[in-house]
Amino acid sequence: MYLKFIGHWIVLVSFLSFFAVLESKASEKKDSLTIKGDMGIFYEGYGLNKTPGSSTPNFYKARKPWNLVRYSFNPVFSYGKWEIPVNFNFNLNFGQNNFNPGYSGFGMPPGIKQNFWQFLTNPVNNFGIRPKIGNTEFLLGTQYVKYSDLSTGDLGIFGYGVNLAPGKFRLKLFKGVSQGPINYVAPTIANPAGIPGAFQRNQWMAQLGLEKEGKYFAGFNVVKSVDKTGSVTSPPLFPIEPQENMVVSFLTDLITEKGWKYHIELGQSFFTRNLNAPLSVTPVQDFKPFISSHTSTNKDNAVMLGITKKGVDWEIGTKFNYYGAGYYTAGYQFMTNDKMEYLINTRFNAWKKKMNIVGSIGERYGNLSRTAGPALTKQIIANVNVFTQFTDRFSMNTGFNNFGFNSPALSGYKSVSNELTVNPVYTWNTTTMSNLFSGTYTWSKYDETTIIPPTTTKNNTQTALLLYVPTIFNSKISPDFSIMWFKNSAPLINLKLLTGTAGMNWKINPKFKLKSQLQYSLSTTSPFTANKNLLVTSGFDWEVFKRFTWQLTATANVYHYGTELPGNSLTPIYSGYPAYFESILRTGLQYKF
Amino acid sequence: MKNYRLLLIFSMFLMMQTLNAQITLNLALNPRPQPYLADWMNPVNGQMIISFIPGTVLNDPNIKIKTTLMDQSRNIVGISNINASRVYTLRQGVNQFTLADALQIENLMLPGNVRNLLQRTGRLAAGDYYLQLELYNAGGDIVRAKQVARFSVISYQLPVLMQPANEANLDAHIAQNMITFRWTSLIPSSAEQTFYRVQVFEILPGQTPMQALRGNQPILDEPAMRGTTQFIWQPNLPMQDSTANHKFIWTIQSMDAKGIPVPSMDMTTQGRSEPAVFTIVNQTSVKGGEKQNEVLKTH
Repeated sequence: MYLKFIGHWIVLVSFLSFFAVLESKASEKKDSLTIKGDMGIFYEGYGLNKTPGSSTPNFYKARKPWNLVRYSFNPVFSYGKWEIPVNFNFNLNFGQNNFNPGYSGFGMPPGIKQNFWQFLTNPVNNFGIRPKIGNTEFLLGTQYVKYSDLSTGDLGIFGYGVNLAPGKFRLKLFKGVSQGPINYVAPTIANPAGIPGAFQRNQWMAQLGLEKEGKYFAGFNVVKSVDKTGSVTSPPLFPIEPQENMVVSFLTDLITEKGWKYHIELGQSFFTRNLNAPLSVTPVQDFKPFISSHTSTNKDNAVMLGITKKGVDWEIGTKFNYYGAGYYTAGYQFMTNDKMEYLINTRFNAWKKKMNIVGSIGERYGNLSRTAGPALTKQIIANVNVFTQFTDRFSMNTGFNNFGFNSPALSGYKSVSNELTVNPVYTWNTTTMSNLFSGTYTWSKYDETTIIPPTTTKNNTQTALLLYVPTIFNSKISPDFSIMWFKNSAPLINLKLLTGTAGMNWKINPKFKLKSQLQYSLSTTSPFTANKNLLVTSGFDWEVFKRFTWQLTATANVYHYGTELPGNSLTPIYSGYPAYFESILRTGLQYKF
Repeated sequence: MKNYRLLLIFSMFLMMQTLNAQITLNLALNPRPQPYLADWMNPVNGQMIISFIPGTVLNDPNIKIKTTLMDQSRNIVGISNINASRVYTLRQGVNQFTLADALQIENLMLPGNVRNLLQRTGRLAAGDYYLQLELYNAGGDIVRAKQVARFSVISYQLPVLMQPANEANLDAHIAQNMITFRWTSLIPSSAEQTFYRVQVFEILPGQTPMQALRGNQPILDEPAMRGTTQFIWQPNLPMQDSTANHKFIWTIQSMDAKGIPVPSMDMTTQGRSEPAVFTIVNQTSVKGGEKQNEVLKTH
């Protein structure tokens, strides 16, 4: 294991040497190849020891991979008119084979290796380059192509494309795979969750528009995605079916010289939930040559509108969004639809610019289609934050937020949350040191009501934090101290948490900084005795050479359960109270060139 | 005399039955079928069984299906066009059909609002309905069998994440010990108990939030207490560590009493709500006026 890790470091050092040579050659001859950017290696080791070692039920599960190595390589090559940004960011597995198999089909169960294609299209990895010459940009490998909020944006897609910008015209094209093929794996004793599996999802996208940077943009976006049914040898089981999606949206942004900003996007989606359903022009007509409708095809619309006015030290804006119940885009796979919302937000200074106020209020209506019951759902979101600098020494930050959710039907539900936070800060200086004293108090009330059975659950939470940061002017050591108290009261729950923390940064020399932190916590759930937790963290930030930094942090987490988890509740019976020891080692080397 | 007449009538009835073919319709409909009507092709929703016993004289095996969809007051919501119905040729014995064959979604005439909803969502409005099936001869003028079944349709709206709100900043000193997650309930509240699974993923250096969600092992993967829409996480992680990325993405997975993800439009999301990102901010690294922008919970 550690030999492998040393091997990775050797690779990194070789890379560093290579770039040092390239860089020196570049500096010798101007207008030839230049390279700028950064590269690095990140390692995280995780350890978990439990007492008792194994038991049923498993009272604490490992929450990280035992070993994780990530490489990043982000240079920008420039040669004459060419500019080639590279974005490589990927994992190589160390022992443990890929990630949690419980997640939606992208993981691999232990013992099954991913093939090269799955490695390339694994969403955890990035291999992308974007060579650019003049107004032409080529996109190769993994790209996060964002065209708009209603079409595509947050998914990594492995493929190829081009962006053209002749004059005011904008033409963007991209084709790729947003989801690699994953075979279905049945649950077993070793892997009880199994793998749901996924079809390979191919995506095509295009944007055609007019733009004057900083002034306006108007254009059309088209995104199409199709699940490749033959991409897996063991296809996912029902209800995961091969899908097809197409979105067409019109987007326009306008910024005026007087500080007005307008945003409009209108979208229409075609979505076939199951390509195995029979072809049919009912209920939705074909959209030839792009979509051949099936009985499982639906078509719906979405709208986004926004207007903002910006002043010297103030801003006000409003936005309105509507997502039809059938609106779906594979470019934002998790997008919530069947809702309409508006929001008004503002920010301004007052009281001779000593007060800064940020606020917003809005409502969200759901179940517009009535497919989830006979009534609309309603949600109120309000938030205000006021920061006031009373004197040079004293400032206060106050925040209040409220959200209420109401689904009034017979099988309905209602929740109301109110939260108030007050955070005064006092600083004072002497000839030798400065001091910062900060207090934070948060009061939170959360009530949930169900109609059947008629029950209201009241949940009250209070949090208090006191923080003291002394800074001694002639000292290389800067400590900080804090104490936190937390209480949560709800039916059957009375949780208290008391934590003391001491931290220290020691700047040994301008290039080397030691840091450490000690934290001790007592968490008590009534009527049990307290669980005890000690968290110790130590590490350093070291600028080894110019532009080459090394960071390292080691953490030990010791947790002893109280009477909440008696050893005799485990099988085999353990005399005493269980405990665990968790260790985390994180280190990163980064070179900027 | 009366007995003799009754016996004669009964004998004639039996003779007619022998001469005519016998068609029996059995509609086994799940009382809570899938809300997407196109999904009725899946056996989980039930099936239509037609038994055919040919008679000695009349043994026409060809039939057409007429489908009538009614609301809970027995008002007609949709009716199939018998002239455009497909002609099925029955085999002797048992003939099995999917409910999609029974529903004939491609041949269903619907009023404007229902048709519009079906075009937009592929679903009917939530409620109770009756499905009436009539088997006609190929000419479409003689009813040979009929059955009605009642069912109710309901879709679910996944929870919306409330706290920490998307792009919220949390104070490292508090977040290192405790983070409170809140979300809205699944709508409508299920008669069976709903399970919520809270998942938090750490966004590693160089990763995008969605990349972390789709690929990383969740650092928190715990069920919420039954019936509650709140979870208090005690991370006990070094949040003030400068090597750490201090950025997380979280979501809620909603599951029914059997642990099966609640259906949504894209089933590959496995009942997960639209995720939210939050950032941990170290209060001690910023002082005075800069802090207001750093330690601010927003909704």
